Amino acid sequence: MKESAVITIPSSPKYLSVIRSVTATMADIYGMAERGRDDVKLAVDEACSNVIKYAYRGDTGQKIVVKFFIAKAFEVVIEDNGIKARPESIQGRSLDDVRPGGLGVHFIRRTFDVFAFDQEKKKGNRLRLIRHRREEDEDRDRRQ
Amino acid sequence: MKIEIADNKGIKVIALSGDIDMHSSPELRKELMFCVQKKVTPLFVDFRGVSYIDSSGIATFVEGLKGMMTYGGKLKFVGIPERIMEIFCFAKLDKVFEIYGTINDACNS
Repeated sequence: MKESAVITIPSSPKYLSVIRSVTATMADIYGMAERGRDDVKLAVDEACSNVIKYAYRGDTGQKIVVKFFIAKAFEVVIEDNGIKARPESIQGRSLDDVRPGGLGVHFIRRTFDVFAFDQEKKKGNRLRLIRHRREEDEDRDRRQ
Repeated sequence: MKIEIADNKGIKVIALSGDIDMHSSPELRKELMFCVQKKVTPLFVDFRGVSYIDSSGIATFVEGLKGMMTYGGKLKFVGIPERIMEIFCFAKLDKVFEIYGTINDACNS
């Protein structure tokens, strides 16, 4: 059975800690290993930070909706009503090019197996992130 | 995030604790840029109390380092927790920043 949880936050950086906390709890419920839990916490934080920075251009009076789905995979859907992202232009800087910025997308892509924008959404963005169950998660299950 | 400024035998130490994220990193940036403006060197950053860092926190340190390099300043990190160290390594920043286990190690370097 697919279990789900939904949280809506204002598009303000001060609410990112709430997103991190909920993401970590959902990862625990899913049975994710500690390393994976920390990775998804960082990745979802980065995705929401990007919504604030790029979709809402720093406007803290908007909303971000984050949906978690737990089944075989761990799925997170992040929705906003801001400026449409251009998926083809989203790429982090080269890791060898040391300068401020450009790391967030690397943290998201290394954590989630699927990183896809739903092109059907007319206004704003719907980012779907899916992380399939990994061997380290199975190890945790066996230990418990 | 909490920022505490200390003096260790004449060396300025910024001791951080809590989460460094998009919300708290502007405060950290302000402190680092103040040090850059005053041409502080060396500057130690004590990470022992840090529980989390995101890309905005890392970007703040990269900016601080670049600022310090303009006057030959030394920025040294101490006591980075394992999970945060893993993030620095992934971003290949373990080769960019000077990282030490303890303040004494950094003093003796």
